Amino acid sequence: MKINLKKIFSIILIAVLVSLVYNHFNGNGLKLIRNERVLVWESDSLASNNRADDLNIDSVLSKHKNEPASEDSINKTEVIESFNEPKAIELNLAYKLFKDGIQFIDARSPEEFSEGHISGAVNIPFYGSENYLKVINRLDKNKVVVTYCSGADCDISTLSGDELFKMGFKKVYVFVGGYEEWRKNNFPVTKPK
Amino acid sequence: MKNLYSNKYLLLSIRLVIAFIFVYAGVEKISDPESFALSISNYRLIPTITINFLAITLPWIELVSGILLLFGISVKENSTIIFSMLLIFTIGIIISLFRGLSIDCGCFGKGTQIGLFKLGENLLMIIGSFLLIVFGSDFLKIKSN
Repeated sequence: MKINLKKIFSIILIAVLVSLVYNHFNGNGLKLIRNERVLVWESDSLASNNRADDLNIDSVLSKHKNEPASEDSINKTEVIESFNEPKAIELNLAYKLFKDGIQFIDARSPEEFSEGHISGAVNIPFYGSENYLKVINRLDKNKVVVTYCSGADCDISTLSGDELFKMGFKKVYVFVGGYEEWRKNNFPVTKPK
Repeated sequence: MKNLYSNKYLLLSIRLVIAFIFVYAGVEKISDPESFALSISNYRLIPTITINFLAITLPWIELVSGILLLFGISVKENSTIIFSMLLIFTIGIIISLFRGLSIDCGCFGKGTQIGLFKLGENLLMIIGSFLLIVFGSDFLKIKSN
């Protein structure tokens, strides 16, 4: 059972060198050092917005709530254009969006979803089959959607958010607290009877 | 019993099957490095800064050792590389299953979730590559001078 260690190291070394050269010249190549995925938080001013009752999509998208109404539409466009990746939101804002009838997307598995989910949410499991594309296509890609998973420790809500952007959605929020935080605060959930 | 395991046809088929699997796995990952990097990060076992380096190099190690194994070049050495990789992947999968993660395996690009079936597959390949390390497979190989 003679194994030539030198050969092993040479094979690995050659493979590593080839990989680095290939990666350098490959258009889809990766950076050698990966950056942590950091979600941008939606500004806190929105979360503490006093106009909770009449909050609508427009006021969520417009960060400049004190701007005159006439300029609102211009600001809105700017904000929409700058919205090119999912933004993190916390419980208060998530609940405001919920009351506004914004579509929530549950990225967890169908089993977890059926055990209980935020009322009105649709299940689009991140590790699901392609059948869920039908569900995605039924949603309006120009409207705000909120993704969530079980809690702050899971990242499939963010990954789903990324995928939704790739599919053409323009405003995706990630409710970081997820189902756990929602349930603990006794906000509306749907559970099997 | 030893004769059965060291049967040259058996060893050749193990060699070819494992070689094809690794070549395929390598090519799939090389074609979409970002997906593979995401799959590695989903295991949450290694620091983020090392993920891209692994995502770049691992598929090529798989591909190179797979091709060499296919042609019967340095069979024992390449089987050792493949055996070690399989061992590390399998430990990763076992840890993730115990932690209750339902994540993409990352074995052949996106699409297969980790689970007991995957574990079984890996165990079979581990046994196969171990046999190749012990007995080698000189049948139908490219002759080196």
